[in-house]
Amino acid sequence: MTALPRRGVIALIPDDCTSCLICVQECPTWCISLDSHTEQVAEPGARRPRTVSVLDRFTIDFGLCMYCGICVDVCPFDALAWAPDVDYSAASRPGLVQDTGTLASWRIDD
Amino acid sequence: MIEGRTYRVAEAPSLRVQVANLGLACCALEVESAVRMGLLIPEAESDGPAERTVLLVSGTVTEPLVPVVEAAVLSVPGASVMAFGACASTGGPYWDAPTVVNGVDRVAPVDRYVPGCPPRPDALIDALVGRSVVDGGSS
Amino acid sequence: MTTVDAREWAGALSEAASKGYVYLDLLTAVDDGDRIDVIARVLDPSTMDAVMLTTSVASEDPLLPSIVASHPAAAWHERETAEMFGVTFAGHPDPRPLILRSVHERPPLRRSTPLVERLATPWPAAVDPAVERRPRRQQLPPGVRTEWVDQP
Repeated sequence: MTALPRRGVIALIPDDCTSCLICVQECPTWCISLDSHTEQVAEPGARRPRTVSVLDRFTIDFGLCMYCGICVDVCPFDALAWAPDVDYSAASRPGLVQDTGTLASWRIDD
Repeated sequence: MIEGRTYRVAEAPSLRVQVANLGLACCALEVESAVRMGLLIPEAESDGPAERTVLLVSGTVTEPLVPVVEAAVLSVPGASVMAFGACASTGGPYWDAPTVVNGVDRVAPVDRYVPGCPPRPDALIDALVGRSVVDGGSS
Repeated sequence: MTTVDAREWAGALSEAASKGYVYLDLLTAVDDGDRIDVIARVLDPSTMDAVMLTTSVASEDPLLPSIVASHPAAAWHERETAEMFGVTFAGHPDPRPLILRSVHERPPLRRSTPLVERLATPWPAAVDPAVERRPRRQQLPPGVRTEWVDQP
């Protein structure tokens, strides 16, 4: 069952993110951005190597985020989730932008 | 348009919070909620002098409100300015609106940005005293 | 909703007022492209019955008589509709802008008026074709209209 939004923060599970950009496209406030690159993965028995996207950087600008949860809803791989953390105020405007490490450190609701 | 309410932080009583809610501030409800939760206490005469005053500015800064924000900041000399909520921090969801000024910091220097739309009361206390007061917490 | 001709706008509102619909609930506009629809909702305070009246004016030169004579509360609504949609209300007693302070070249709520910030801000979901080799259909960011991009 999907956890209800508790207006904490939106956390990222980087290993589940396929860099598909759906969350970035759907965000009404344009607060999400991500960088990725593709790699060729050779699989035993496969004729050709498989191309996979590798996430380099995922950021959410919480100065713009309106906590609508659309990104959490549209993620096909459940790589985004609500977390109850609130300790993310900042002394500067750029400090409101959280990147992969911080997003992954937040405690996701069960 | 502006309420001049003053509070003390329950767990740091020498910290005074003066609230300036702009015209459009749903975040004001969260300050009220912090009061109901006992995290902020309306200031009383017996509280004695405050060591530090934080001017909490919440709401969307529209063009006509710029002089109001300026006046609010000037009215509390020496106070730290806290931008409370996405609108006060950056313009928030209205960043693209032609009539919205993208954040209090376009008008006066801001010392603390508290994100959230709106921020939870515990986010406010965390920003004031530097740690979460509600662990996990539900709202 | 009753649609009236723009020439009969003030008369229709005045007639509504004489029938008891003296309280102006709302006056606003909708941009329909080549025409602007102006909508007024008026109430009879004794019964709380409401009627909605609408009329259309050409987007090119939207001109409508003011209804402040029959409904004084329309004064602010008409000032706001004037600055946001560029509708001129003839005979308004005080046609100053109500909300906007800076001068906007075009009325902000017209569909043809670009949201400058959205146009000027790079959309984070835009894919750099130099990096991304997969063909993607050309996408405009949400909230950006094709006609804005073609404009000078």
